[in-house]
Amino acid sequence: MINDYVLPKTVEDALAALKQGNAKLIAGGTDLMLDLKSCKAAADTLVDINGIKELKGIKESDGNIIIGAGTTHQEVAESFLIQEKAVVLAKASGSVGSLQIRNTATVVGNIVNAQPAADAAVALVALGAEAEIVDKEGTIYQPVENLYAGLAKCKVDSSCQIITAVRFPALFSNQGSAYVRLAKRGALALPMLCVAVAASLKDGKIEWVRIVMAPVSTKPLRALEAEELLKDKEPSEEVILEASKKAAAMADPRDSKLRGSRAYRSSVLVNLVKRGITEAIKNARQ
Amino acid sequence: MKNYSVVGKRLPRYDGTQKAVGAPCFTSDVSLPGMLYAKVLRSPYPHARIVNIDTTKAEQLPGVAAVICHKNTTSKLFNTSATIVFTLPPLVPVKDQRIFDDVVRYVGDEVAAVAAETEEIAQEALKLIEVEYEQLPSVFDPKEANKEEAPDLQGPREHGKNLPGEKIHLELGDIQKGFEDADYIFEHEFKLPVQKQCQMETMAAVATIDADGKITVYSSTQTVHPSRAILADLFDVPYSKVRVLSPPFIGGGFGVRIGLSAKAEPIAIALAQKAKRPVKVVYDREEDFTSSDTRHSGYVYLKTGVKKDGTFTARMMKAVLNAGAYCSFSTETHGVLGCMGLSLYSCPNQYYDGIAVYTNTTPSGAMRGFGSPQASTAIEAQLDIIAEELGIDRREISKKNMMKVGGEWVLPYQCQSIALEECIDQGAAAIGWDKKGTFDNSGSVKRGIGMACGTHVSNAWPFCGDYSNAYVNIQQDGSVQIAVGSPEMGTGVQTTLSQMVSETLGVTMDKIEVTIADTESSPFEIGAHASRTCYVVGMAVTQAAAQVKKEALEFAAKLLAERESCIYCAQDVQDLDIVDNMIVSKSNPNKKISLREVTIQAQFKGEQFIGVAKVVPQNAPPWLAHFADVSVDTETGKVTVNKLVAAHDVGRAINPTIVEGQIEGGLAQGYGYALTEEILYDENGRQLNTGFHKYMLPTAVDLPELQAIIVESDEPTHPFNVKGVGETGLIATAAAIMNAVYDAIGVRFFEIPMTEEKIYMALQESLKSCE
Amino acid sequence: MNKKTLTMVVNGKTVEKMVEPGDTLLDVLREELGLKGVKKGCGKGECGACTIIMNGKAVNSCIVPAMQAVGAEIQTIEGLSNGNGLHPLQQTFIDCGAIQCGFCTPGMIMSSKALLDKNLKPTKEEIKQALAGNVCRCTGFVKIEEAVEKAAEILKNGK
Ligand SMILES: Cc1cc2nc3c(=O)[nH]c(=O)nc-3n(C[C@@H](O)[C@@H](O)[C@H](O)COP(=O)(O)OP(=O)(O)OC[C@H]3O[C@@H](n4cnc5c(N)ncnc54)[C@H](O)[C@@H]3O)c2cc1C
Ligand code: FES
Ligand code: FES
Repeated sequence: MINDYVLPKTVEDALAALKQGNAKLIAGGTDLMLDLKSCKAAADTLVDINGIKELKGIKESDGNIIIGAGTTHQEVAESFLIQEKAVVLAKASGSVGSLQIRNTATVVGNIVNAQPAADAAVALVALGAEAEIVDKEGTIYQPVENLYAGLAKCKVDSSCQIITAVRFPALFSNQGSAYVRLAKRGALALPMLCVAVAASLKDGKIEWVRIVMAPVSTKPLRALEAEELLKDKEPSEEVILEASKKAAAMADPRDSKLRGSRAYRSSVLVNLVKRGITEAIKNARQ
Repeated sequence: MKNYSVVGKRLPRYDGTQKAVGAPCFTSDVSLPGMLYAKVLRSPYPHARIVNIDTTKAEQLPGVAAVICHKNTTSKLFNTSATIVFTLPPLVPVKDQRIFDDVVRYVGDEVAAVAAETEEIAQEALKLIEVEYEQLPSVFDPKEANKEEAPDLQGPREHGKNLPGEKIHLELGDIQKGFEDADYIFEHEFKLPVQKQCQMETMAAVATIDADGKITVYSSTQTVHPSRAILADLFDVPYSKVRVLSPPFIGGGFGVRIGLSAKAEPIAIALAQKAKRPVKVVYDREEDFTSSDTRHSGYVYLKTGVKKDGTFTARMMKAVLNAGAYCSFSTETHGVLGCMGLSLYSCPNQYYDGIAVYTNTTPSGAMRGFGSPQASTAIEAQLDIIAEELGIDRREISKKNMMKVGGEWVLPYQCQSIALEECIDQGAAAIGWDKKGTFDNSGSVKRGIGMACGTHVSNAWPFCGDYSNAYVNIQQDGSVQIAVGSPEMGTGVQTTLSQMVSETLGVTMDKIEVTIADTESSPFEIGAHASRTCYVVGMAVTQAAAQVKKEALEFAAKLLAERESCIYCAQDVQDLDIVDNMIVSKSNPNKKISLREVTIQAQFKGEQFIGVAKVVPQNAPPWLAHFADVSVDTETGKVTVNKLVAAHDVGRAINPTIVEGQIEGGLAQGYGYALTEEILYDENGRQLNTGFHKYMLPTAVDLPELQAIIVESDEPTHPFNVKGVGETGLIATAAAIMNAVYDAIGVRFFEIPMTEEKIYMALQESLKSCE
Repeated sequence: MNKKTLTMVVNGKTVEKMVEPGDTLLDVLREELGLKGVKKGCGKGECGACTIIMNGKAVNSCIVPAMQAVGAEIQTIEGLSNGNGLHPLQQTFIDCGAIQCGFCTPGMIMSSKALLDKNLKPTKEEIKQALAGNVCRCTGFVKIEEAVEKAAEILKNGK
């Protein structure tokens, strides 16, 4: 039962507010409001971060893109900066739920939600993003990839820690990214599968590539062997296909009546990874 | 066909403004002084006996006003569907439900209910009700449930294992001989899914009882009078002491509330009686999924004999449908499936056997199309196979076999108009049929075109009793009041009925008011179902309007005769007409008098113009041809529909905008039926798709261009040549998409929805078998 | 329970209400302020029937915490026709036949308004995207999209 709702103006005040009783942070509330109703989450005080000015907005600084915790999916999807230098995230955030959801739901909330196929989080892993985490001890930075503590569990404890921002290197002009998503319909549908890819080209060869697949494990899954295989290769159709097969072979999707059988998802994943890599490379060349 | 001045016009909807401004016009918006809020406790098991139920703690929770369960409510049997009013002897309506029973038969079945000061308190109280269940064996598939070894879900049944009602058997000619005459015989079975109506307003009722015990219920029902009958019988009060009304609109229906709004009304009344305060019951979306009727799922088997030239010689059809836990409409749906399925085409030798079987799933009831989508999906998908095997153009094989005016069929009435050929031709042109087979399908995305036909009804007779009454009254100032019991659930009945009255009576639309869906202010009305309102109630209001017009003109003739001695005399009434609220002489248009003046004069003489009509209709089949243009991504199995076209022989469109709206909405639901919509159950009988995030209705971004083409025909059974259009839009959509998918990828499906997974896996399978 | 003060501007008027800290904005608008045009189709952000405009953006009021509206500018369907006749969107929805049962209509019109407030020349695709979170089971969307296009035209010429 919620007994109090606090609207702090600074991160400090928010941390202080979290000390009261059984308090929890709330951003867009698109996960939390439903979890509270269905008793999947419990709290007696909600600490709302939307009034904290320093957490708003997207900026670029020293080659890094920084997204504040108060930033919504729609702001990210519409941002020219993100569209140009991290299109994978623009696409991922742009595919969340519906416009109404994207207008309130935050990118950071999507990380803490820790669903293996939370769209923006999958893209952020491909971008090599880190989260800035503040608590009473101070500030630490953690790769988003390392924040998963099990299925739908985030290592960040939103009853005493605040992710204030996520940041990742902006992609250079020789780099590109792509997001491929398979869902039962064009809106208001969680992905059956999604693939996020970021790639860097140098002298016509793949300098590095990051391939992330979901939901095929308890967290967004990096296809490390496939990434390795592509490194220093010219991106031919054959090698991309080979890498895609290698990537899909690592996946371990569940049998789900709603989101597809294991057999289907394992098989179709090859094609999605192939599309992701191909598009990211095309994007890098442009 | 005759030209009219009001009928056939695209006039704006009567109810448009109220809805556009968000007026509080739905049952869920009703709020009465002292009103309590109810919540319902539902069974977590598919089949169980309630060994013990203790509600003491819930009753003690502050803010709780009443708790009810099987121990303190009537044990009278009823049926939430309107069949108790519709069913014609010698058939007897099946009554197999109680408000609460000591046996629960599906996950979501009602166990108890609480009325409290707030919804939250009622919800809290549910948690305090202690129930001890003894689980019983359960069965989920209708074929399994029909086997001898299956558990009896409703005791031993008269007509067969777990059958709520009779088997439907139809025969024409000699089926054996028909197969002997055939050059080829085709045999297939199709599996059909559970579809959900998903009307946007969930089940809702607000009940209040006055000091004399008179019950008033605001309700989301599609049938106020039949609902009143069900409730009055259940609570043992005279029909006249129960009032059921719309407040005044319903947020969609699509068949789900033909009869009660699931159990919203009886639960609201039982709680209101106990608490002695008004009670509001509004299902949440999850309850609406688990605990209100769905479309019948099941199996349709077809065996068809044809000559080399494509002429049918024999058609055998068998259907096994899932009735779910209670009967609802499971005595009728398989009848419509058989009759309308067989009647799409002429064939001298026909045979049908159909049953619906109890299982431990959510009850199946009425949903838009009522058996016809199931029939059309199977028949039209099979016909595609037949046409291909025989090398006959798909359009031609439909045209060759289609029903003819006066043709022989299993129905007890005559087909009196059919414009299916025009539908096929116009639809084919609109989709670009000539492009079929010419697409460059060398890449991974493959494109195809398909078509399918269908037919349905314009009311429920002869499957059920069907009749309507209407009242049309010219007020003292010349304006007009219509009163009918039909509800406005989105189909535009107030507008359409007014147009027919305006045309008949010569009174302009702005002077007409329509009272709807209130048992206390409209004559008995069967209600909105079976695409019948425009057809049957349309006949009734037209007839009543003609009657008042006659009365008004007779009075006017007398009046004019008195005033302008000898220019008119009483027999000259034939020369009078009403045009735009003026009574005019046909032979001398300069002679006129306003209707208003006549009615004022009539009042002085103590005369009122009141028309009452009672109509027992025939029936008229609408005809339709649907076309789909699709692309299939063979690397994922995903189907993108590029365009859907539906050409419908609607008789005459009273308001083309409204008719198109019905067809377009039907197309969208047919898209879902074909590709994405399905309720699945887990092994414990629980629905997996209990909300809009899991049950995949098409959204704006999924739906392609939808083109509705209205084809008119001279249907003689209706004064304005109307046929039913409320349901037709979805009937042939799934089959058209199935056939288009085949055209694109060369793989046939015998099951819908064709999910990306099914398509992809089938493609993989076909690749393997090619290797 | 500690009720909290919620001050916000609803349809141009400042309102102050004592609300439960766990209430949703839908609860407050519908039950406390009697704005019944805000419909509840699912209560879970999955249908858009409860769509309102908050600080210029379309949101699902059923999952927005009421307290998030502190100081916010809220528009509901009731605010659209304030005094001066129907809003062009309301008129074109009626004229085009975009309304059937009408239960989705208030949310649909609010989503459309949020779009047109920013973009008076939306493409078909932009309209579809803006309305993808609003489920309509009656219409198939054809006439709704047409109504939005027509309203855009009227608003553009009016400016
Ligand atoms: C109808 C619907 C459709 C959806 N569709 C999709 C979809 O397609 N794809 C998808 O990925 N997601 C989808 N979602 C979920 C998506 O909206 C959320 O994951 C969203 O991104 C969470 O953000 P929020 O701001 O709403 O988080 P909240 O609900 O406010 O918070 C979520 C959790 O994060 C914590 N938290 C929030 N901010 C911080 C912070 N700064 N520091 C520490 N902890 C914090 C909260 O305490 C809470 O535990 C959908 C949700 C709904 C209701
Ligand atoms: S009621 Fe809010 S989105 Fe459905
Ligand atoms: S008009 Fe009925 S849901 Fe849209």
